[in-house]
Amino acid sequence: MAAIHPETEIVPYLRGELSADERARIGAHLDGCAQCRATADASSAILSSLASVVDDVRDPDWATYRAELRRKLHDAQESRGRVSARWPVFGWPSMAMGAAAVAVLAIAIVMHRGAGSVPAPGVDQLELQQELSSTDVGLLANYHVVEHLDLLENYDVIEHLDELGPGDRQNHATQS
Amino acid sequence: MEPSDEELCKRIAARDADAFELMVDRHQARAYRLASSILGNEADARDVSQDAFIRLYESAGRFDGRSRFSTWFYRILVNLCIDHQRRNRWWRRLAPLKTPGGDDADEHAFDPPSSEAGPEGEAMLKQSIRRLRPALDKLSSQQRAAVLLQTQEGFTSREIGEVLKCSEATARVHVHRGIAQLRKLLQND
Repeated sequence: MAAIHPETEIVPYLRGELSADERARIGAHLDGCAQCRATADASSAILSSLASVVDDVRDPDWATYRAELRRKLHDAQESRGRVSARWPVFGWPSMAMGAAAVAVLAIAIVMHRGAGSVPAPGVDQLELQQELSSTDVGLLANYHVVEHLDLLENYDVIEHLDELGPGDRQNHATQS
Repeated sequence: MEPSDEELCKRIAARDADAFELMVDRHQARAYRLASSILGNEADARDVSQDAFIRLYESAGRFDGRSRFSTWFYRILVNLCIDHQRRNRWWRRLAPLKTPGGDDADEHAFDPPSSEAGPEGEAMLKQSIRRLRPALDKLSSQQRAAVLLQTQEGFTSREIGEVLKCSEATARVHVHRGIAQLRKLLQND
C-alpha cells in the first residue's frame, strides 16, 4: 500500500474531525494497511481509557475550595493595591523605562571603555580561547539533530540534547 | 435564560462578583479535573486551578471573543499547569509522584477493558487507569495537555492548537506522539 502512513491523521479520523474527503482518503488507506489499522485500534483503546482517567479524580470539598479561592483573590487584589499605592506616580511603565535607561547607560559605558586600547591577548589567554573553541566545536556534534527540530514540537528533545546517544541522534536526524 | 460564558466574562471584566461566582461554579469541576490529570497531584491541581480563576478575574477584560471562552480559559489553565511542572521538574526528579495505584500496578500488557463489562470489567478498567497515570506523567507537558484536552474536554486539534499556541498540524503531532509514547510505555511496563 502507500508508503506514507497518515499517522497524525489517525486520531482525528477516529474522533470524526476530518472532512469527508480526508475521511475517505484515510479510510481507504486503513483498508489496505495493516500497520495503520493496528495503530488505529491501539490508539482507540488508549483514547477510551484516557477518557476514564477523569472519572478517577476525587473532587475536593468545593466549599473549602471556594473559600480558599476567595481568600487568594482578596490577597491578590490587596497586594496589587499595595503596589500601586507604593508607586502612585512611578507605575510599571515608568519603572520599565527607568530600567531601560539604566541598561542603555551601562552599555554606553562598556562600549566607551572597550573603544579605547584593546590589549593583544597574552599566550595564556590564547590557550584558554583555543580550549574554549574546541569545546564549542564539540557542541556541533548535535547540529544534525538540531537543524531538523521544530522548536515547538521538540522542546523536550532540545532540553535533553546532551543526553542523546549517537543512535538517538541518528534516529532524530532521520525521523525529522 | 442562563448567561453565556462570554457574557459572564464581560461582566467579570466590569468587576461583577456574582458573575465571577457563577463562572467559577460552572467551570471549577472541569478545571480542577483537567489540572489534576495534567499534574497528577490533587493539591497542586487545587492551587493551579484556583490561580487560573484569579487570572480569569484579573484579565477578563482582555478576552476579545475571537475564540470560545473555554478555549481562552483553558489556555490560561494549561499554561499555568505547564509552568508549574517546569518549575517543579527538579523536585519531581528527586521525589517521583506516588500514583493512586501505588507500587502494585500490574505487569501485564496493556489491554484496556470495556467499562460495560460488569464489576469485573470495571475493576480491570480501574487497574488500567492506574497504569495510565504514571505513563501520562512521562509525556512532555505539551503532549500530555494535548492528549488530555482531546480526550477529556473533547477539544478538536484546531482548539488544542489555540490553547497551546501552535498550528493545528502541530497539535495533531503532539496528540499522535503522546499516544504513541503511551502505547510504548504501557507495552514496556
